[in-house]
Amino acid sequence: MSLARQRWIPLLWLLAALASGWIVWTTPVVADLTLFAPRADPVAELLLDQLRSGPTTRLVLLGVDGGSEADRAAVSRRLAERLRPDGAFARVVNGAETLPEADLQALFARRYLLSPAVAPERFTAEGLRAGLQQRLAELQSPLGVFQKRWLAEDPTGELLGLLRLLQGGLREPAKRLGVWFSPDGARALLLVETRASGYDLKAQRAVVTTIRQAFAQAAAGTEARLILSGPGVLATLSEDRVRAQAEWLSGLSLAAVVLLLLLVYGSARALWLGALPMLSALLAGAAAVGLLFGQLYLITLAFSVTLLGETLDYPTYLFSHRRAGESVDDTLRQLWPTLRLCAATTALGCLAMLDSGFPGLSQLGVFTVAGVTAAAATTRWLLPVLVPPQWRPPRPTAVGDWADALLRPRPRLALAFGGCGLLVIFGLLLKAPPLWENDLAALSPVPRELLQTDQALRTALGAPEVGHLIAITAPDAETALQASEIVGAYLDRQQRAGALAGYDGAMRYLPSGETQRRRQAALPDAESLAANLDAALEGLSFKPGLFAPFLTAAAAARAAPPLRVEEVGDGLLGVRVRSLLTAGARGWTALLPLSGVRDAQALAAGLPQPNHARAYYLDLRAETNRLVAEFREAALPRLAWGGVLIAAVVGWGLRAWRPVVAALTPVLLALAFTVAALLALGERLSLFHLVSLLLVLGIGVDYGLFFSRPGADADLRRRALHALMVCCASALIVFAMLSTSALPALRAIGLTVSLGAAASFVAALIVARPLLNRMD
Amino acid sequence: MKRWPVVLLLCWPLSGLAQDGFDQVMRLLAAVPAVEGEFREEKQLAVLQQPLVASGRLYYRAPDFLRKQTLSPQPEDYEADGDWLTVETPAAGRRQFDLNGYPQLRPLVEAIRATQAGDRNTLERYYRVEFEGAPEAWSLRLTPLAVEAARYVSAIILRGRGARIASVETLEAGGDRSVMTLTPR
Repeated sequence: MSLARQRWIPLLWLLAALASGWIVWTTPVVADLTLFAPRADPVAELLLDQLRSGPTTRLVLLGVDGGSEADRAAVSRRLAERLRPDGAFARVVNGAETLPEADLQALFARRYLLSPAVAPERFTAEGLRAGLQQRLAELQSPLGVFQKRWLAEDPTGELLGLLRLLQGGLREPAKRLGVWFSPDGARALLLVETRASGYDLKAQRAVVTTIRQAFAQAAAGTEARLILSGPGVLATLSEDRVRAQAEWLSGLSLAAVVLLLLLVYGSARALWLGALPMLSALLAGAAAVGLLFGQLYLITLAFSVTLLGETLDYPTYLFSHRRAGESVDDTLRQLWPTLRLCAATTALGCLAMLDSGFPGLSQLGVFTVAGVTAAAATTRWLLPVLVPPQWRPPRPTAVGDWADALLRPRPRLALAFGGCGLLVIFGLLLKAPPLWENDLAALSPVPRELLQTDQALRTALGAPEVGHLIAITAPDAETALQASEIVGAYLDRQQRAGALAGYDGAMRYLPSGETQRRRQAALPDAESLAANLDAALEGLSFKPGLFAPFLTAAAAARAAPPLRVEEVGDGLLGVRVRSLLTAGARGWTALLPLSGVRDAQALAAGLPQPNHARAYYLDLRAETNRLVAEFREAALPRLAWGGVLIAAVVGWGLRAWRPVVAALTPVLLALAFTVAALLALGERLSLFHLVSLLLVLGIGVDYGLFFSRPGADADLRRRALHALMVCCASALIVFAMLSTSALPALRAIGLTVSLGAAASFVAALIVARPLLNRMD
Repeated sequence: MKRWPVVLLLCWPLSGLAQDGFDQVMRLLAAVPAVEGEFREEKQLAVLQQPLVASGRLYYRAPDFLRKQTLSPQPEDYEADGDWLTVETPAAGRRQFDLNGYPQLRPLVEAIRATQAGDRNTLERYYRVEFEGAPEAWSLRLTPLAVEAARYVSAIILRGRGARIASVETLEAGGDRSVMTLTPR
């Protein structure tokens, strides 16, 4: 090898690594569900918009436990006071807030346009008289003290109706000592709405920190504890949890693998050399995705890291095949045809995912192809220039006689093994459809106890669940509101028929301009109203002239321009309207969250389609599950195509059909055994299992290729056995540890890969040689 | 300056006497297990030409049940049981409130309920209490402590004889006033 090569290869690698590192550094990692979304599916887009930034995802649920009841109430008040001025929160409520005077005045000023009760019959002599008698009854009651203030300007009681409407949006928890408490009184409750989306993890992390700090100050000197939940909080907490557990487990398994490698090769150099291909693979993969997509999905990253576990094996093949008397480069040259096939099969297996229509799947493909290529290239060209030409691991890698005994071909055992495998495959085919897990919740890395806390807080607070809703898209706000009113009328009918318990919507709080104008028209002109009022007051004991302010207000309301969405302000009305009516890139979206839906299908079937707008019925759970299922259904045939490509490239590499059969039969059997074992263990197969099976496919093909290397002599076979034992042992160590995790995702990956690696090793050892030898 | 302590000393037995009377009345009231009576209420309001007159029944059961059932001019039912207030009107039907959540409402309930229960602690949690008279004929002037309540009510004056409340006068912040007279059945 030339000296020049010795210089420029590490330099080139360093440059590439730096460039990749820079790209990765500047690529945002998003924890987002859009990776499941096929491009150009309007329902899916609406749905994911909802999951990403809908009003329900921005809620943070808080509970204050511990201490005395008075402590909890006081902490709740102080916490709310500290959080309210913070710009990160759209609202902070704990039951203590009375409607701010400004809000009350704003509502009062617009009462004739906003109150749903405004109708012509309310302002006739009879209508007014009924209203006045109602007010008289209120004056009589002990509560009249509080209502007297509005009497002169609002004899028909529109403000009261408006307040009742605004209260209806949220079922309020019971109060103790003036603030919200859980029914048993053990927990004070608060509800916070963040301005940032629940999936903006960075913002949510800041929110959690802010809340914790505010709580620490508010609870100083008491025994009170803070309980936090909500979509954004769950996302950050579970990210922390997953990260902590993954770090702990991977730290532990790293230590174990290091120990194993040290024991086997007795060389520290083997350790860092062994890490280089995997490192290159991660950098190259992430950089390629960053360049092509501009962002990296967190789940893709996790899946890809799993898949690239195979690249840890590449340097092991080299170390175990080092023989005295040949240079590192020579060994690699001999290994290269097999190593090349190992990398090519893995890359091709993922190639089919590239144009899947699912950004997440495409990213996974790009990541793996780039990563595996980089790892193979690093092993082939970088490793030999980093060590002296004659370098070998100090520990002799020749294994003893037991290796020969293990390696002796046993055709009968192979036949029995293969027969068993065929039976299992047959059984799996018969057992169709296999148990697939489509529930996104089961894929969620959120620990179960956090979900239980969330459920408890949600029930106590009566916070809306992410469940059923109607989304209406329209070119402008007015059309969206008019369409919402049409859908609202339909929902009213359905509610009376018992099909649902209730619904909410922006049009309840901000009626369309058309409706507001209709209400204006319901108010009589000044003279008629004054005449009607005089007639209504006949015989009632109200002081003369008392209602002059009412006449003025009604006249002003008749002439007022309708309130528009741009003018709703930042008060209660504004927050409520803006959380349900939003402007997006393609016009406006109005949301009507539904509660207590009896029959979603019937409700969706009768949904009216207003002019110039589209109404969609979204069952978020069903829709996300559908997306996951579609994602998997798109992935499966692509994996099959990947299999065909793998067979083709192995055929092209080995140029004879028998070695191809010898190399690929073991992995087929191993996959069948793994799936059967998983099902026997009662696992429902999720995407995590599927991706882990991809890794099993990758390493299984490698094992098959190495155990069936044509033309290998006894020494080479022994060395191959050594290498594969090391590879299999490290895979088992790492993934068996993962399988002990309580987190469903880590457990699924760990279980599948450790089962698969063991099955691949056994299958390749037993089946590959006999299949190949029949040719000899 | 030197005379002040003497004046204070002179006052001391007097205030002690008043305190004695208050405690005595509280004890008398606390001994009553239940009351059933009729009430007549007259409200004088700035917005009306004539006073509003209502009548009905009042029920009390120790220690914390109070029910005001208006029969005329229109039926209404207010029932305070522990922390819960149940309101039933023909217009709005039956509604329940947790009194803890309404700092402006609770003092109004306690003015009558805690007095009839002889519960001095509760009274003093919500009001500044001034006692006058003797057990045979007494009056309690309650001034709300919380701003939420003081915004609406400036004072409530209860008058009574022995273990019986005879009238409740409410002075509202805006100048309106009402008097409820009670007669036992």
